[in-house]
Amino acid sequence: MKLTLSFICLMCLSGLTQADNRLNLTGSSTVAPVVMEIAKRFESVNPGVRVDVQTGGSTRGVVDSRTGMADIGMVSRALKTNESDLTAHTIARDGVSIIVHGSNDIMELSEAEIIAIYIGKITNWSEVGGEDRRITVVNKADGRATLELFLAHFSLKNSQIKAQAVIGDNQQGIKTVSGNPGAIGYVSIGAAEYEQSVGTSIKLLPMNGVAANMQTLANGEFPISRPLNLVTKSLTPLSQQFIEFAQSPAVADLIKAQYFVPASR
Amino acid sequence: MAEHLFQFVIWCVALLVLMVLLWLVYGLLDHGLAKLSFEFLLSEPQNAGRDGGIISILVATLLILAVTLLAALPLGLASAVWLAEFTATHHFWARKVRLALDVMAGVPSIVFGLFGYAFFGIFMGMGFSVLSGGLTLACMILPVFIRTCEIGLRGVNNSWRQGAAALGMPKIKAVWYILLPAAMPAISAGLILGIGRATAETAALMFTSGYVDRMPESVMDSGRALSVHIYDLSMNVTGGDAAAQASALLLLMIIIVLNMLAYAVTDLWLGRRLSNDLA
Repeated sequence: MKLTLSFICLMCLSGLTQADNRLNLTGSSTVAPVVMEIAKRFESVNPGVRVDVQTGGSTRGVVDSRTGMADIGMVSRALKTNESDLTAHTIARDGVSIIVHGSNDIMELSEAEIIAIYIGKITNWSEVGGEDRRITVVNKADGRATLELFLAHFSLKNSQIKAQAVIGDNQQGIKTVSGNPGAIGYVSIGAAEYEQSVGTSIKLLPMNGVAANMQTLANGEFPISRPLNLVTKSLTPLSQQFIEFAQSPAVADLIKAQYFVPASR
Repeated sequence: MAEHLFQFVIWCVALLVLMVLLWLVYGLLDHGLAKLSFEFLLSEPQNAGRDGGIISILVATLLILAVTLLAALPLGLASAVWLAEFTATHHFWARKVRLALDVMAGVPSIVFGLFGYAFFGIFMGMGFSVLSGGLTLACMILPVFIRTCEIGLRGVNNSWRQGAAALGMPKIKAVWYILLPAAMPAISAGLILGIGRATAETAALMFTSGYVDRMPESVMDSGRALSVHIYDLSMNVTGGDAAAQASALLLLMIIIVLNMLAYAVTDLWLGRRLSNDLA
C-alpha cells in the first residue's frame, strides 16, 4: 500500500515537472475534434510539447480559461458582452445553409417564407413560386448546434416547428433531402458544399441574397454563421504559439476535413 | 388450459427479452463488422477517429478498468465483511452505512462524474487522468458491489460459522478461508455488474479521464475510454458512424470476454481454495 502511494506521488510529481511544455484545452464539443487534430500536428512539429484537449461545452471553456484550469478555452460561438475579460481567437467558421433537392427550381426563399414553411403555414412549393409539390420539412434533433443556430437566426422555438422528418447529423440531413424532391432542410455549409461537389443532388439556397459557400462564410457575409473560437484570459508564450499555429494555413486542411471553414486572416 | 396459456405467455416474454439482445447484436454486426479488423484494433485513431484504429482507446479503457478494480475490490470486500460478519444486522452504524450505500447506488453517473472532477481532479490534483477516472468509477460501482457481497455472505449457512468457531478458528481466518469462498457466486455476480457498469460508463468519464485519444503513458495521463469515443464519433464527428459502430461492437465483445474472465478468476481464486481446504 505504501509502495503504491509513493508510486502514485512520484507519478504526480513527474506530471508536474512536465507542466512547462504542456497545454490544456477544454470546452465546446463541436470544436474539440478539430482542435484535437490541430494539436496532434502541433505536437509533431514541436517535439516534447503535449497538448491535452478536453470537452464539456462552450461554457466550460469560458469558465476553465477564467479559473486557469485550462490554458485555452474552446467556444463555438461569439463571446458575450459579460465575457469581455477573455480574448477570442477565431480559428474557423461554421455556417448553416438551407438546402433543397437538386431538381427543385426554386432559386431563393425569403426569411419570412422559410419561417412560414418551417411552422407549417406554407405546405406546397407552388405557394412560393415552385411546382405543385408537397413540401417535406426536415428538422434537426434536439441538442444539435445547427438546430440552435437555425432557431436563433429565425427567432423560432423548436416546439413551433412542424417537421415531417427529424434527423441527426449533417450527412443524414443531406441524404434525406437528396432522396426526396419535395424536401427542405438545413445543414452545415461545408458538408453540403462537399456533397454537392461529389454529385449529390442538393442545392444550397442563398440567404438574403448572399450565396451560401465557403467564401461568403469565411469573410463573414453569410448571415447564419458562428465563429469557432479559442479563448484566453492571458497568453503564455506556448499558448500564443499554439493559437498562431491553429490560425495558420498549415492547418487549413485539417479544418476543412472537419467540414468547417478556416477563418480569413 | 389456463396452465398452458400461462406457460405460453412466460415463454413469449422470455423470447422477447432474448430478441432485444439478438436485435442489438445483429445491428452492431451488420453496421460494424465490415470496419472491424486487426488493423483497426492495432492502429491509433486519425482524422478525429474516422480513420485509423482504436489501440490507444482500448489501452486507456483497460487501464481505467484496472484502476477501478484495484480500488474497488479490497474496499468492497472489506466493507461487505464488516457489514455481514462484524456488526449486528440492526447495529446503528451498519444501518447508516447501508442507507448511504443504497442512496449512492441510485445516484446518476453524471453526478459521480462531477464529484470525481471536483474531488479527484481538482482537490486531489490528479487533473484529467486515468487514475482520476478509475477512482471515480470505483466510487460508482462500490455500492452495488458491497451490497451484493454482503447479501452473499449473509446467505452462507450459520452452521459453517459455528463449525469454524468450534474448531477454534479465529474469526478473521474463518472469513478468509470459509465465508468468502462460500459467498463466491455472489461476489462474482457483484463484480460482473460492476465491470459492466464501469466499461459502459460515459458521463462519469467525460470530466475525469477525459477526451485525449493519445496512448496513455502512465495513469496520470488523460485517456479516452471506448464509451466516450463512441459517443463522440456518433454525436460530434460528421461521418464517424462507421467507426462508432465498429467500436460499439468491440465494446460489446470486451464486456462479454470480461464477464467470462471474472467468472473464471473468482472460480479459481475462491472456489478452489474452498474445495482444497475442506476436502
